[in-house]
Amino acid sequence: MKYSLGFIIAISFAGLQFLAILSVVSTSYVTSERAMLEQARELLDKAGARAGEHSARFLADAQDAAELTARLIESDLTGLVDTARMERLLFETLRAEAELDGLFYGRETGDFVYVSRSTETAEFRTKIITFDGDARATELIWRDADYRVIARAPEPGDTFDPRDRPWYINAQIKEATSWTDPYIFFSSQLPGITVSAPVNAQSGALEGVIGADIEISAISEFLSELTISPNGSALILSDSGDVIALPDVEQISVLNQDGTLSFANVAELENGLAQAAFADLVASSETAFETETRSQFEHENDTYVSLVKPITHTGLPWTIALFAPEDDFTQTIKDNRRRNTWIAAAISLATALAGFALAELILKPVRAFAVRTSLVSQGEMSASEPLPRTYKELQRANETLIDEIAQRREADSKIVQLNRDLSHFSRVNLMGQMASGLAHELSQPLTAISQNVDTALTTAKQLDGNTGDLLEILTELDDQAHRGGDIIRALRGFVRKDEAEKAAFDFEELLGQTAHLLHHELDNNGVSLTCKSDRLPMAYGSRVQIAQVLINLIRNAIEAMADQDSPRKHITVTAQAKSDEIEVWVDDTGPGISPDITLFKQFETSKPNGMGLGLAICRTIVEANGGKLWHDSNHAPNSRFCFTLSKEG
Amino acid sequence: MSEGTGSSPTVFLVDDDARILQSLSRALQKRGFKVETFSSAEKFLETYDPAQPGCLVLDYGMPGLNGLDLQQHLVSTGISIPIIFISGHGGIPESVQAMKAGAIDFLEKPFRQPTLVACIETAFARDLNLRQKAAQNQSAQLRYQALTAREKEIARFMISHPSHTSSKEIGRALDISPRTVDHHRASILSKMQIGSVAELIELSLSSSLQLDDGG
Repeated sequence: MKYSLGFIIAISFAGLQFLAILSVVSTSYVTSERAMLEQARELLDKAGARAGEHSARFLADAQDAAELTARLIESDLTGLVDTARMERLLFETLRAEAELDGLFYGRETGDFVYVSRSTETAEFRTKIITFDGDARATELIWRDADYRVIARAPEPGDTFDPRDRPWYINAQIKEATSWTDPYIFFSSQLPGITVSAPVNAQSGALEGVIGADIEISAISEFLSELTISPNGSALILSDSGDVIALPDVEQISVLNQDGTLSFANVAELENGLAQAAFADLVASSETAFETETRSQFEHENDTYVSLVKPITHTGLPWTIALFAPEDDFTQTIKDNRRRNTWIAAAISLATALAGFALAELILKPVRAFAVRTSLVSQGEMSASEPLPRTYKELQRANETLIDEIAQRREADSKIVQLNRDLSHFSRVNLMGQMASGLAHELSQPLTAISQNVDTALTTAKQLDGNTGDLLEILTELDDQAHRGGDIIRALRGFVRKDEAEKAAFDFEELLGQTAHLLHHELDNNGVSLTCKSDRLPMAYGSRVQIAQVLINLIRNAIEAMADQDSPRKHITVTAQAKSDEIEVWVDDTGPGISPDITLFKQFETSKPNGMGLGLAICRTIVEANGGKLWHDSNHAPNSRFCFTLSKEG
Repeated sequence: MSEGTGSSPTVFLVDDDARILQSLSRALQKRGFKVETFSSAEKFLETYDPAQPGCLVLDYGMPGLNGLDLQQHLVSTGISIPIIFISGHGGIPESVQAMKAGAIDFLEKPFRQPTLVACIETAFARDLNLRQKAAQNQSAQLRYQALTAREKEIARFMISHPSHTSSKEIGRALDISPRTVDHHRASILSKMQIGSVAELIELSLSSSLQLDDGG
């Protein structure tokens, strides 16, 4: 199948355009995607760092408060044995340190003072356990922010012993500030953590342990406010895999079967995304990351970037994990890419249309040229007609075409002409043969007549009496018989077959024979013929062919003048020797050649009695005999035809 | 006229066209010629006697043996009758060939009677001349044969050495005395019916004497 030029151009344009745009778009997409992902990581880093710092500072403040209180107690141990003073110290500290949820001091004796923030009855609540010997008394006091007692109540069934609590034991064992595992506060059902510091007597013996509760839901709140990306999220995990902080604080605690509350493990989170993010972590049950780990993961057909890093500041085995869908960062450029692809398609389409239009524009003259060429080739249009606006190449092609057509036409017409001439020539040849036979056949009776006339003349001369008339008649008869013989001889002169070959011949003799042969025709048309020649050298060529040319030229002249009423109808044939040829010209006093007749082109078979050859074949014959034949227009209004013959030798 | 050409010359007319034969023979007879007609070359050869004087008026184009063929045949058989060709074709090569082979003329039909008559007269003259020469030769030969062997020898020497014909030269060459030579020479001239040695040489040239003993 062949495609049109327009189609090819359009498709090429559009294809190239599309490829170019696509390559630019995809390159820029790849570059910007990389940049955006880089930015995403930086964002994650930054957010991770901020969350880490925040958490650390948050815990550090609590730690500072606890340690400061511990120092205060140590420096004034004796004074602080008094529970009232202790309560006051704890109260003031708690009020000053907003991060702290509760502050308490447990003694080796089992005494316990615990001041905490409260949401019912009053802002603060104090729980005091005192031992008097083995008698134990527990009292709850509610105070407002100005330390005024709002309510008091004993708590008779209380069995709390600070010395059994993990925070106490930790500090006691470590003899240093220590942290408990995070846990859910029973009262508030919020996550928290307890920091505890040992208080030693001057002797160095453990006097008691000061502890501070910190509600770490504040960290979760911070995480929820932490901006990573529209769909980004962050979690903090403890070393046991518990989620101790996450933006949706409600999900943080789960109710155990025994009615207690505990942290949700990351594996138990309803949030599948978080599970997916830390699947590796869970699977390896390695919950603490010592170094930052960046990774990518798939969840529900979306790609996420994630960052897992330890919170190193506090020495707590916590891990902060951040993740965000890649789309949050690359959505814009993805959108951009989609938009660019559409733009590329649109531009390609426009280019294709432009290509079509352009091809159409280019092709229009080509198509017009093709149509014109086919019209020209069918002969319905002349190739020389002006070409419509077109290209130089087509112009040239047209010129070549015109040349070709002209040559072909010329060749065609030449072939037609030669065919016609050939048929005529063969006819003439046949006529020649017939004339030859005829000459012989006629010569026999003419000879007999001539002989008989001679006998009669001889007899008559021998007769007596008045034989004058008879002798005259017989003499005339003899003359006529011999005139017939002369005509036959002249005719025979043309058709002697031995002279078809080129040879030397006497042109003057030929001219005489020709004149003789045409005598009758000249007379009938009232035309006189004069032949002028002077001591011509022998000519060389085909005698019979030259004779035919000569006859034809004279006949043409006769015919040209035949219809004239002019009293002077004259043909002059002049032969003259030139330096290397013999020139012959035939002049007549006829009307001349009409300018609209194309000489040498037409074979005039329409002529009455036309035995002569066409001018075209005359020219061919003369040229074949080494001469030229032309019409000399310098003798208007009469016409002159000239031809040349080779001289012998 | 010598005795060898006693009968009057005849025009032998050969043409395949009966009308030509008839009209031409009548015209020539009317002009006083003796004419014999033949409708073909073959018929002419059948009856022709070379001893008859005359000439041949021969049509060139005939079926069977044509004019040129007949001419060739006659030349090759040593018959030297003069030939006038008449032709309705008139080809130059044929006429050239005919003329080269000794034809009197090559006339294109129709020809004027005086032309033909002139040709015939020329032909007759040539025929007569040829026949006279032949007769001369014959008599010279006969006279030569009448010479003795010595006379023939001396005659041969004189003919072959025309510049050494003195008796001395001949006698020295033939080893005989000049006187004897003189005697023989007189006998030769007498027998050959001539007056001088110069005449003898001329006779030998003109009548192509067969000089050899066996000739």
